[in-house]
Amino acid sequence: MAQHQVNYTQDGGLPVALTSVDKVINWGRSNSLWAMTYGLACCGIEMMASGASRYDFDRFGTIFRASPRQSDLMIVAGTLTKKHAEFIKRLYDQMAEPRWVISMGSCANTGGMFNTYATVQGVDRIIPVDLYLPGCAPRPETLQYAVMMLQKKIRAEKAGRAQRPKRLV
Amino acid sequence: MQQPNRLRPFFENISFDRKDNEMVINFGPQHPSAHGQLRLILHLQQEQITKAHPDIGYLHRGMEKMAENMIYNEFMPTTDRMDYIASSSNNYGFALAVEKLIGLQVPRRAKVIRMMLLEINRLMSHLFWLATTALDIGAMTVFLYAFREREYLMDIIEDYCGARLTHSSIRIGGVPLDIPDNFIHDLKAFLDKFPQDLKDYEDLLDSNRIWKMRMENVGVISKEMAQSWGCSGVMLRASGVNWDIRKEEPYELYDEIEFDVPVSEKGDNYARYKLYMAEMRETSKILYQTIKMYEGTVKENQTELMAHAPQYISAPKIDIMTQNYSLMQHFVLVTQGMRPPVGEVYIATESPKGELGFYINSQGGPYPYRLKVRAPSFWHTGILTDLLPGSMIPDVVSIIGTTNIVFGEVDR
Amino acid sequence: MRKYVPKDDVQKKAYYTDRFWVAPQVAKSPVETDAVFAADLEAIKAKCEVLDAYIQVDQLVVLINPNDNFTVAQILKEECGYNQLSECSAIDWLAKQKQFEVFYQFLSMSKRKRMRVKCFIDKEQAVESLNPLYRSADWAEREMYDMFGVKVNNHPYMKRILMPDDWVGHPLLKTYPLQGDEAASWYEVDRIYGKEARDIIGPENRESAVVDRYDTERFGRLGHEVARGSEFDENQPVTPLAYQEEGGVFIVKKFQEDGAVTITDRKR
Repeated sequence: MAQHQVNYTQDGGLPVALTSVDKVINWGRSNSLWAMTYGLACCGIEMMASGASRYDFDRFGTIFRASPRQSDLMIVAGTLTKKHAEFIKRLYDQMAEPRWVISMGSCANTGGMFNTYATVQGVDRIIPVDLYLPGCAPRPETLQYAVMMLQKKIRAEKAGRAQRPKRLV
Repeated sequence: MQQPNRLRPFFENISFDRKDNEMVINFGPQHPSAHGQLRLILHLQQEQITKAHPDIGYLHRGMEKMAENMIYNEFMPTTDRMDYIASSSNNYGFALAVEKLIGLQVPRRAKVIRMMLLEINRLMSHLFWLATTALDIGAMTVFLYAFREREYLMDIIEDYCGARLTHSSIRIGGVPLDIPDNFIHDLKAFLDKFPQDLKDYEDLLDSNRIWKMRMENVGVISKEMAQSWGCSGVMLRASGVNWDIRKEEPYELYDEIEFDVPVSEKGDNYARYKLYMAEMRETSKILYQTIKMYEGTVKENQTELMAHAPQYISAPKIDIMTQNYSLMQHFVLVTQGMRPPVGEVYIATESPKGELGFYINSQGGPYPYRLKVRAPSFWHTGILTDLLPGSMIPDVVSIIGTTNIVFGEVDR
Repeated sequence: MRKYVPKDDVQKKAYYTDRFWVAPQVAKSPVETDAVFAADLEAIKAKCEVLDAYIQVDQLVVLINPNDNFTVAQILKEECGYNQLSECSAIDWLAKQKQFEVFYQFLSMSKRKRMRVKCFIDKEQAVESLNPLYRSADWAEREMYDMFGVKVNNHPYMKRILMPDDWVGHPLLKTYPLQGDEAASWYEVDRIYGKEARDIIGPENRESAVVDRYDTERFGRLGHEVARGSEFDENQPVTPLAYQEEGGVFIVKKFQEDGAVTITDRKR
């Protein structure tokens, strides 16, 4: 047995940061939000621009992934049409929990200017949305602000497994 | 845990009775290198494609139907969302068709500004093409470089119209605004450095072994095939047809401008890549000349920006604010819309993707009776049916890349 | 009394038209004024009946019988050098004359000329496919079928192209409303969740200026965000509208506004 007392929180001991588990997990989650490339229309171009050189999304820890299984965040960028609707549900179901959705642009929020027969009037009819981002098309700065807001939201959440599942039906 | 829903795994495309080694795979509609929402159903014999079914319509937003329910000026912002990489070229195609229908003469200064906007859009579109195609093939560096240059162009456009992507920068009968003070300076600064940027891309790509292996002799389109499929733009010129609408049926002031139309005989992906690069050089040549033309109009004090046709076009803002009759006219034109004469018109323009045509059937009402958009990408997607069979699976991505299709335009 | 809306054409109409207003016409000039077009017309007339021909906005327009469309296209391609079919679609005239108009837009690169061939067909009548002559007709005709329900004979793959296969109705018909019919409004809900989910998801909101009283619960008030469904309570501390919380985030550096630099020159 140890003859002396070890104070792990003091210098020389193990570097233990005193924080709650929630905080650590949420810190990790919020700073490595891997987004899924879900560029549907015009907003997808702005999403690419925010990932490209000038706006540089990587500094937020947001890296675009092509597979739903590797991503935590789905940025629905563009008009969702009725023909496409089933695929967004299919891909959302493939994402692992916890998962978040940003609806980018007016078309994804409400159907926007395309108030026609072929457009889904808001992606929240199909999948639950965490953050609505207005604009047509929103600038890359707006998307980055949205990601920052989502990070803030994640930090305020409980990190436990018993999350309330987000679903519509 | 998944909530049970009606979506079952997608087996309806896959046939399980195997007589040979044929495999059917589904590509898209949400594939990172499909340039949008393209879905391909590919029949494979080992690695080789035997049959391809492009499936489109995943971005069909009913624009033609919208046009039938909108007054002419109201439709202008909708055209932005068609080829959203070069919005002004759509605005222009529509504006030109309506102008031809009415028989309007656009003032010279507006023409020059329009040409500037169109060519900046062409550069933006080609840079975007280069960036995404290079990214799909694996050249990430070029993606970052080309987007950097594209952002500067977007700054310039933003100075003009306030929008990055959806410009609505051209009106029926002219342009809404004169160019801002720093526009020429910024544009010149960009153009002076641009050849060096182009050289950078070419240094990275031109003799790159991987790039060449994936581009050369891949996706060869013969001359007959290109013409039969209604190809236009670079797709046509890469197959040895010297056809550029700016040269052959000049609109605006393109007949006063000196530029070459690069043509290649080979018809493969690499030829298309070379043509895009060559076109960017030509476009910057045109832009230098338009700057000169603009300075000419300043010297001659031609300040008119909109055509004078009180029946169809609102008067300038100063008249609306000061003269009663102009205000009344403006009110009628905004609430009821202009009523072009009865007739039909088909006008083609050379958009960055190819021949962008607008067919308008007017019955004398404020709403077009029928508006059909002849989008170049629609046919460039169609050609995949004949182009993909015979090529390998990895070629699919590079072929889709070089066809330069945009789905807002394909599905409308 | 409810306003009468004609069922055969539900598109938007001008709400006011002057009683004495006569719509002007886009000028039509006779074909003889252009030698190239006159020769083309002669070539068509040699084999087929031409109902009408004129030049409008520098393009030749020829009206033919619908049964002749393949022959005319063949003449145009093989004799007159019109090597591209740049567009083909239909116009719905059912409300006015119970007919569709089918138009083909041709381009001759050698002559630098464009022309349009039109024909009128009845509602159930089919046209012959131009696919053997021009491959571009393949997709154009599919789109025409999808949008109007105009059938095309001898087409290799006569399926819908833009709308899904199980779609009801043809959207560009004048009888089809812009915002879709009943089948269209529930299409995605029925397909994904089934009809029983209709009540939960609710009808589409097509009103652009609608105010939903539940939005105050669904969307957090800025600076006063609470968990979804929970009541906002007056004593709750205000969340500042800053990106980072007051205490900061582990390892992540907090943005200091006074240390920020504004770039005015983009250093091009």
